[in-house]
Amino acid sequence: MKLFVKTTLFYLLASLIVFTIGGVITYNKVKEEVALETDYYLNETFRRLVNEIKSGKSIGVLNNDKVTITKLDNQLVRDTFRVYSDTISKHPLLNRPEAYRRLVRISKVEEQYYQFDLMDVLIESDDVYQGVTAAFVRLFLFLGLFIIAANTVFFRWILSPFYLSLRQIMFFNVKDKDTIQLPDTNTREFKLLNAFILKMTHNARKDYLTLKEFTENASHEMQTPVAIAKGKLELLMESGDLTQDQLQLVQGANQALSKLSKIGKSLTLLSKIENGEFSDKRVCNFSEVVGQNVDHFRELALLRNINMQAMLPPVLQLPIDSALADILISNLIKNAIQHNNNGGWINIKLNEQQLEVSNSGKAPSVPTETLFNRFKKGQAASSSLGLGLAIVKKITDTQNWQVVYKFTDQTHSLRIVFT
Amino acid sequence: MKILIIEDEPDLLESLCTYLGKGGLLCEKSSSMREALDKLSNFKYDIVLLDIMLPDGNGLDILDFIKQKEPETGVLIISAKNALDDKISGLELGADDYLTKPFHLSELNARLKAIYRRRKFSGQKEIEFEKIRINTETMETRVEEELVVLTLKEYELLLFFIANKKRVLTKQSIAEHLWGDNVDFLDSFDFVYQHIKNLRKKLTAAGTPDYIKTIYGMGYKFTSD
Repeated sequence: MKLFVKTTLFYLLASLIVFTIGGVITYNKVKEEVALETDYYLNETFRRLVNEIKSGKSIGVLNNDKVTITKLDNQLVRDTFRVYSDTISKHPLLNRPEAYRRLVRISKVEEQYYQFDLMDVLIESDDVYQGVTAAFVRLFLFLGLFIIAANTVFFRWILSPFYLSLRQIMFFNVKDKDTIQLPDTNTREFKLLNAFILKMTHNARKDYLTLKEFTENASHEMQTPVAIAKGKLELLMESGDLTQDQLQLVQGANQALSKLSKIGKSLTLLSKIENGEFSDKRVCNFSEVVGQNVDHFRELALLRNINMQAMLPPVLQLPIDSALADILISNLIKNAIQHNNNGGWINIKLNEQQLEVSNSGKAPSVPTETLFNRFKKGQAASSSLGLGLAIVKKITDTQNWQVVYKFTDQTHSLRIVFT
Repeated sequence: MKILIIEDEPDLLESLCTYLGKGGLLCEKSSSMREALDKLSNFKYDIVLLDIMLPDGNGLDILDFIKQKEPETGVLIISAKNALDDKISGLELGADDYLTKPFHLSELNARLKAIYRRRKFSGQKEIEFEKIRINTETMETRVEEELVVLTLKEYELLLFFIANKKRVLTKQSIAEHLWGDNVDFLDSFDFVYQHIKNLRKKLTAAGTPDYIKTIYGMGYKFTSD
């Protein structure tokens, strides 16, 4: 949810609560005031009537539908104080029951007791309620519009540096060389934020470059020392007076060195692909590359009695660097030979949409979604480096192709979808 | 065969010289571009072993120099870079072969001999070892005039053995010689064993003694002893 929507809703909710409570308070207050005023009016009427009686008017003239004066002969009655009550009576004009305020009082006027029964129509609570609600709803709507307008201005104006910075961060690429452009602002918090973003992006770029340089240097600078070590070991083997056991130690060291050098080469390859050093996107006859690799690996496959079959169209042009295509295919086929059973099979199918390499083999022992990670091996004990599929993934990523792995029915299947 | 090794890493330079020297090659060393150009101007070499990453210049310039001054000299480039570009430009400029560090010395030896053979014996392309004679032109192997039919891999294996006769060859170096870098993913060297077994069978059947000695757990040695 957008920040704008969130804050607007929040303000609207807050004012809704305030307005509801305010409405209730107003309603009660108005009702109280109306009752008070009515009582006051009734009391005034009472006094006027008393004066009228004193001036000699007969009660018959004074009585009407709201005033009932009764002469009391009983000497036992005494003056009573005002007794107010609410009642419901029929309204003479509207001809329907209405809420009335009633004052009943016995009072002695000129040595004669009278009972005054005065009524006046009360402003109904319904009316008060409706009035208050109508006013508050209008007010609330007005406030709502105002909040939205004010919030819009706030976001457009005060928060604009924040949104500009946000946009810059979104388009930030650690591989770009230009420094990130952040908007000028006089808001302290945004100034701090921008300073922080500048520092972080700068550091990220620096780290990225250092790491990149390190990977590149480390992996090919180490080839020379490895070459030296291997050369010395070979000389040691040649020296002739080594025992069987010693020769095997030398051999072990030699193999470990080879592996080290291959890891270095694969890592360099990965970083080269990542740096886009294979960017010759002239169309390449992908079908031919697959065919060449199938021929190249057929002998190695046969050594494990693996039958390799390929269904290829004569020509399939794809926009990929031919060296990259070669690396991709050779890694896929190597992978299929390696994770296979002796006497198994490999099936390669290529068409306009996809390349599918499927092969027989045991179920993978690691979660399949991690297979494309570096140094993740399907079988822990295997002598592979665990970089083959990472390279495949990296290539498909740079090509914006998709790679899908599936294991069903004792069959591994890797599909590369050209999109 | 006289070779010049141009390599800036003294340790590697030393190892290369010792190893090749044992095989009867005459080695001269040079560890910088200046020194190398100096030697190349004054002496004649059969093959130059050239590291293209030198402290005082690009080895490809030396290659250029050799091709202009002494075109019949063979050049084998060694480089720590696996860059395809270097490989291609090196071969385009006239290098005979390209090896990426690290390499097996036995592989280097075999490649040097192959270059030497291609360049020197332009008429006679025969390799002899005791009773075995190989014509590298027709790729025919004969034992005392009798033709031995070998598969391509067996033929390559035999050449590799003869180039490195009397030397211990590890299964790994044999495998890499036969199949290139792509064998690293295959767990065993049984394939090497299969080819060796077949080659041995064919050679002894043709009447040679068993030249291929197995060094247990380690590899093989091709020797008439």
